[in-house]
Amino acid sequence: MTRKDDRGHRWTDQGVQRAVIRIVRRLSPGFGRRKITRKTRLHTDLGWDDWYVLRVVGPIRATLHETLEDRVVLALRTVGDLVSCVWNGMEAT
Amino acid sequence: MKSRALGFAALLLGAHATAQEPARHQWDLLVGHSYSSARALTQPATLVLEKTRGSPLYSVLDVGALLRGSLADRTWLELGARAHAGSARPESQRVFGAVARAFREQDPLLVAIGAEYEADGSFAVERPAATAELTLLGGVPGLGTWVSPRVRLRWRPWIGVAWDGTARPYARLAADYTTGRVEAGVEGTGWLVQGSGRSFVQGDLSVRLVGGLFVTASGEAGRQPPRYEPSGRFGLGLGFRLGPS
Repeated sequence: MTRKDDRGHRWTDQGVQRAVIRIVRRLSPGFGRRKITRKTRLHTDLGWDDWYVLRVVGPIRATLHETLEDRVVLALRTVGDLVSCVWNGMEAT
Repeated sequence: MKSRALGFAALLLGAHATAQEPARHQWDLLVGHSYSSARALTQPATLVLEKTRGSPLYSVLDVGALLRGSLADRTWLELGARAHAGSARPESQRVFGAVARAFREQDPLLVAIGAEYEADGSFAVERPAATAELTLLGGVPGLGTWVSPRVRLRWRPWIGVAWDGTARPYARLAADYTTGRVEAGVEGTGWLVQGSGRSFVQGDLSVRLVGGLFVTASGEAGRQPPRYEPSGRFGLGLGFRLGPS
């Protein structure tokens, strides 16, 4: 199954997940080579505070062409929440 | 009726359904030590009861709550109230506050514009003020995120100015450390009031019991608005937190 981002590019759910995990890893340089999965918790496992989590907004807009609302991002708890949020924002094909 | 009650409860508790279906007009409720910063909200709200023979039961209460909702994609609003109270504190050292502030995020900066009301315990000194403050979202080791998974230490600075007829510039630095069930944090704020410096520091050491319930040792020292009267205390009590972790 694929969905289209705001620029009409097609993504699979696995593709969205890989792209989101790459973004999360780039924003967690201290996390080293530890595995980041959908279950990884942004605050508890990665140590992001309330405001740091907003740093995902720009890279997601640049890579996945999806605009996330800040307050929605502030309520996210896991990498899986972020993946779902991006995927649900895409248009079904 | 039951479904309306459940809906209201879900609204109050945020429900975190946002991950599956972003709701533009949902409000989240956060409860912690104070609304002064993300760090202060992460520190549990505390209630300490003190009793010595021959004297009444005294209490120390530190609690703050925020309602957070959207204004636009990059902008959101917070409405908050806080109490720094309890019968163990003299009225002049109690603080009641309320705030309305709007945040605007423009990576790498986060800016907040707000209006805040502060009063002492007898409401003899009241101080409404307009505020503006900013912080960096990140980009420096430990700023907003742990230094590393082994060193679970992070910090966040704020600079700002409050205007209540005269300008009061201030700077705030918050840091916290986590290991297992134990969390420790400190937050210090310095103000420049009519050319003279004032500062206030509060810290806590908390052990998570279950969920958002903690045993918390907390202390504070310095001078805080609205009176900037010297104060200091240390206590051990129960802590409660709802929201950020």
